[in-house]
Amino acid sequence: MIATLLEVSGVTVTFDGFRAINNLSIQFPPTGLRAIIGPNGAGKTTFMDIVTGKTKPDEGRVVWGEENISLLGLSESDIAMRGIGRKFQKPTVFEAQTVRQNLAMALKNPRGPFAVLTHRKTAENAAKIDAIAAEIGLTDSLTRIAGELSHGQKQWLEIGMLLAQDPRLLLVDEPAAGMTVEEREKTTDILRRAAKTRSVVVVEHDMEFVRRLDCKVTVLHEGAVLAEGSLDHVASNQTVIDVYLGRGHA
Amino acid sequence: MHNSFIARNPSVLWFLAALGLFTFGVTLLSEATGIGLISTSFVKTLGKTLCLCLIAIAMDVVWGYCGILSLGHFAFFGIGGYAIGMWLMYARTETIVLSSLAGQTIPATPQEISDAIGNQIFGVVGSSEFPLIWAFSDSLVLQLAMVVLIPGLLALVFGWLAFRSRVTGVYLSILTQAMTLALSLYLFQNDSGLRGNNGLSGLQNIPGFEATPQATISIIFFLASAFALGAGYVFFAWVISGKMGSVVQGIRDNEARVRFLGYQVEGYKLFIFTITAIVSGIAGALYYPQAGIINPGEIAPIASIYLAVWVAIGGRGRLYGAVIGAAFVSLLSSWFTGGGAPDINLGFYTIQWTDWWLVLLGLSFVIVTLYFPKGIGGLFDYLVRKPS
Amino acid sequence: MGGATIRAATLPKYPEFPMRLLLSALFFMLSALASSAQDLQSLLQENAAQIAKPSRTSIGIVLDQMVATGLPQVPAFLEEWSDKNVWQDEATGLFYIATEGDDVLTLTDIDTGAQTTAPVDGFQQLKPNGGVRRVIGTALVQFQLIDPDTTRRTAALESIARRPEASQLAPLIASLDGEADPVLRTRKANLITILSARFAEDPADRIAAIEKLAQETSVETRAVLNQILATKPGVATELPEANIAVQHDPMTDPDGFYAALVAADLAQPLTTPAAIRAAMEAHIVDGRVGDVPVAQLHTDAARARAYAALAAAGTVPPLLGEPERNNALRSHVFYDAYIEDDPAITAAARRALDQVENAVALAQTVDLGLDALSLASIYFLAAIGLAITFGVMGVINMAHGEFIMMGAYTGYVIQLFIPDYTIAILVALPVAFAITFAAGVTMERLVIRHLYHRPLETLLATFGISIALQQLAKNIFGTQARPLTSPAWLDGAWIISDVIQISYIRIAIFFMALFFLALILYILKRTRLGLEVRAVTQNPGMAASMGINPDRINMLTFGLGSGIAGIAGVAIGLYAKVTSEMGADYIVQSFMTVVVGGVGNVWGTLAGASLIGGLQKGIEWFNPSNTLAAQTYMILFIILFIQFRPKGIVALKGRAAAD
Repeated sequence: MIATLLEVSGVTVTFDGFRAINNLSIQFPPTGLRAIIGPNGAGKTTFMDIVTGKTKPDEGRVVWGEENISLLGLSESDIAMRGIGRKFQKPTVFEAQTVRQNLAMALKNPRGPFAVLTHRKTAENAAKIDAIAAEIGLTDSLTRIAGELSHGQKQWLEIGMLLAQDPRLLLVDEPAAGMTVEEREKTTDILRRAAKTRSVVVVEHDMEFVRRLDCKVTVLHEGAVLAEGSLDHVASNQTVIDVYLGRGHA
Repeated sequence: MHNSFIARNPSVLWFLAALGLFTFGVTLLSEATGIGLISTSFVKTLGKTLCLCLIAIAMDVVWGYCGILSLGHFAFFGIGGYAIGMWLMYARTETIVLSSLAGQTIPATPQEISDAIGNQIFGVVGSSEFPLIWAFSDSLVLQLAMVVLIPGLLALVFGWLAFRSRVTGVYLSILTQAMTLALSLYLFQNDSGLRGNNGLSGLQNIPGFEATPQATISIIFFLASAFALGAGYVFFAWVISGKMGSVVQGIRDNEARVRFLGYQVEGYKLFIFTITAIVSGIAGALYYPQAGIINPGEIAPIASIYLAVWVAIGGRGRLYGAVIGAAFVSLLSSWFTGGGAPDINLGFYTIQWTDWWLVLLGLSFVIVTLYFPKGIGGLFDYLVRKPS
Repeated sequence: MGGATIRAATLPKYPEFPMRLLLSALFFMLSALASSAQDLQSLLQENAAQIAKPSRTSIGIVLDQMVATGLPQVPAFLEEWSDKNVWQDEATGLFYIATEGDDVLTLTDIDTGAQTTAPVDGFQQLKPNGGVRRVIGTALVQFQLIDPDTTRRTAALESIARRPEASQLAPLIASLDGEADPVLRTRKANLITILSARFAEDPADRIAAIEKLAQETSVETRAVLNQILATKPGVATELPEANIAVQHDPMTDPDGFYAALVAADLAQPLTTPAAIRAAMEAHIVDGRVGDVPVAQLHTDAARARAYAALAAAGTVPPLLGEPERNNALRSHVFYDAYIEDDPAITAAARRALDQVENAVALAQTVDLGLDALSLASIYFLAAIGLAITFGVMGVINMAHGEFIMMGAYTGYVIQLFIPDYTIAILVALPVAFAITFAAGVTMERLVIRHLYHRPLETLLATFGISIALQQLAKNIFGTQARPLTSPAWLDGAWIISDVIQISYIRIAIFFMALFFLALILYILKRTRLGLEVRAVTQNPGMAASMGINPDRINMLTFGLGSGIAGIAGVAIGLYAKVTSEMGADYIVQSFMTVVVGGVGNVWGTLAGASLIGGLQKGIEWFNPSNTLAAQTYMILFIILFIQFRPKGIVALKGRAAAD
């Protein structure tokens, strides 16, 4: 077992003179849960864009896995195939298709056009889909059109799709946004269970939800790490209070 | 395998049944094989319409399913027509030249024959030399291969360039339109080697079947077009069913999500763009022998836009919708522009449909886009959904 | 070239002419004093036969005599003679200047100017032929060059420029000092240089004149130099003693040079395939030609054998094929020789022409730049409205081209009602803006508003409007092109030199484009509307929350973009034809301009228009005969360009551009 699954070091991104990410360094272990918090414009989404290949940094390194592969220069699909899954802030599921189709598309299988064209349904895949559906609580909704699901269900479906991808690193952007209290609880459970076998990174705004996750917290500010540690530890950090929590609580 | 595919897609069976019935009916009523109620020229119109339906389903797959509003598929259609037209024109001219040279006391040399054919074909553009692109025009097999290869390769190269640089949406539409415009402008030149704006003509005369009456030829092409439409329909229905369909529609609805799921979106788009281009080429190769003539005007960007109009009016995202749209609008269009529709006398002004049809089409298209985004095909939802 | 050769060929007759003229003038001045024949009529009577039936070769002497008298009535007589207004009384043989009317001649006495009338019968009109009239004209030139009337002097100079002859040089030089008009003086000096370059006696004078010509780029100068450098092709067994311009390698165009050999009677024509075939057909004996069965004669090899057999039997001339041709070509030299014998002069002319051509090439580049600039202005006008709507609203308006057309037709209709074109255009511009603004707002309210967030469908719906509008225009105005006439003061072109010129309309369009660039920049950067438009472009949600009504902004933006299209229509209609399809001709180029330039940026559109206009002119320059090919290559270039800059030249960066 390696100690570091993903290592981001010295990364800087500039948009029209604005430094969205400023010499950012951060590491993630192969398993466990991590929360990333920070005020608006701290660079949370840009950080995820860099890791998933959507944005190319101006400088810095992003190194992945046992073989220390650089993720810079790989396409989004390559990075996804290497085991990084991403959930967007707004639930993005394929609304015109059924829940089963959504999950089947995400299942870890060959991704080439010809493999997909000649793809046949198997009992093994069906079992996996059923298992994931049970995990996210959508067993009864497998044949429903995803567009008909409630907001929370869509969020779970998207998390389910990530699980179906069987990634080693899961990047989750504000999973609890717009959820009821029970729904949040369920989401927390799903994420905590997932974190037992893989690394799960949750970007959140909502302190209550982060507290519920009960994990190590990284605070981003102006594109760099401001503080790291348990929630209580960072919450007592004076700088953090000044730039973020202080304002948040006010 | 296919059993389950058809079982899961009952609409395919319905479509094949309807197409079969229609084909059978036309055959029975035609001049050559039936009681002669349908004229030869109308059989040709119907045959051509079937080819238009075929390219319409290709358009539906690339636009309605994959979300690429290509304004270039009629260019592929035209390339297919040119490819087969080159053989038809060469072979027929060769027959004529050989029979006219046969009367001479001295048998002709290959060079003399070739010169005479070249003179016949390229005389209109002031040349008698065979351009390089006619190198294979004497071989039916090779020209048939061109019908598939040239649209396929062009789509592959163009698509690779466009998709690789992530050109999407209206940008992509405009780029495909530019490609079509470039092609038609190129063909309009006299030194393009394809007879400039004269195009290729006399394509309704099939070499080797000089003795066969046009009535028979028309019904043969009609049947071939019906078969191609049926085969194309089943093929595309198979492609867009199952997981491929899921991915392709996923690309249409949210390209970025599909990419983050690990699918190489460019490859899928390229695959869809290319196979639909090939099918368009085949449709063109069946269409133009029935039309008899092809010229660069047929490839102009406007034709590809009309194709999009048919698919939109018929109903995107369902193959039978594309078929209905293409058949309905193109037949209606020839009825109106052919003077079939009666003029409307308003007292102070007489609406002549030859003049006003395009106005009507344009406006009805706006209305369909605004209020009936599902098109005519959307009506079937009411019929089919009721039992469940 | 052919014309130049012919003209140069008639040259050698003239060099001695001025000398003879001067000598004879001198002689006749003396003899005139002696004989004191002070009237022209008597001189004419002395040469009556020559006057009545003049010939080009012999009339010169009589003319010299007339000029030598120095009589003031001579030029007038010469002119009337040349104009066929001189009649001869058949009874007396006297000549009169006469005008004919209703069987009656009004006669004017040549010397006194006294007028009488007489019936036409009994008079014979003198009709000197074209050759004679030219000789008369030459004699007249010296009078005209010093004529007090400026227009006549100008006309004389024009006639010299049209038909320069050696004899004109001396009178021209003589008239230079007395010339008071500065323009004519320059022109005379200029013509003296041109004539000296070709006809001066002393080669040094010619070379000096030629070197002077090298400073100019006019078409006239180039023509003169080319005439001096005129060559005649020649063929011989050995290179002759002549001023050789170039020697050719016959193998570069063997058939062409062999044809020259045949034309010079130095070779027999080759045996053509048709001749071989004719020989075959003519000599079929028992189904065989020269022992080869007819049925086998379908290859060139078999025919060659059969022909060889026929030739061996002497029935046909021996085969002249490629080897014979090549032998013949190798044993001759092919060259072009200057018609001018003096190598020093041709060398000077060559140097001068090279220099002139360099200057011309430079001027052409400038001209091309101006052309590109005016094309870019048109593209900019056509595209800027589209760029605004596309940039602000993300909406592709396929009917944009039809708005251009509407603007042009508005101009046409207004011209039907307002006959003064200047006023009509001034009225048409705001009216076209108003009409297309209204059309744009209507379209936005009725259609586009419902299709935001569905850009592809907007594209198709506006396309529906486009075909409806196009057909509607066809129904109203017919299919033929309608004129949109520019005011007279916009006719013509600003001529900087023979090479660089640009029509006033294009200049006007250029300034119009500049004006609209400034106006749009002003609206976007300096007005409340512009601020709100930019806010909506960058972040519609935020703009809405700050109290900006995006609906209103969208409507106004769309109206503005459409209105500018209408004005572009008037501008384009002025220099192109107004048809129902004119919009469609510009729409793809406009899209290209927007896409290449970068969406949502006025400067981007300007850059796109400049790039596309410049590119199109540049490609046309390389392949001038073929605008279709130029457009094809340009589109291919754009497709490739998009590869490298998918967001255009002026790209928005950052997160705003990522979506």
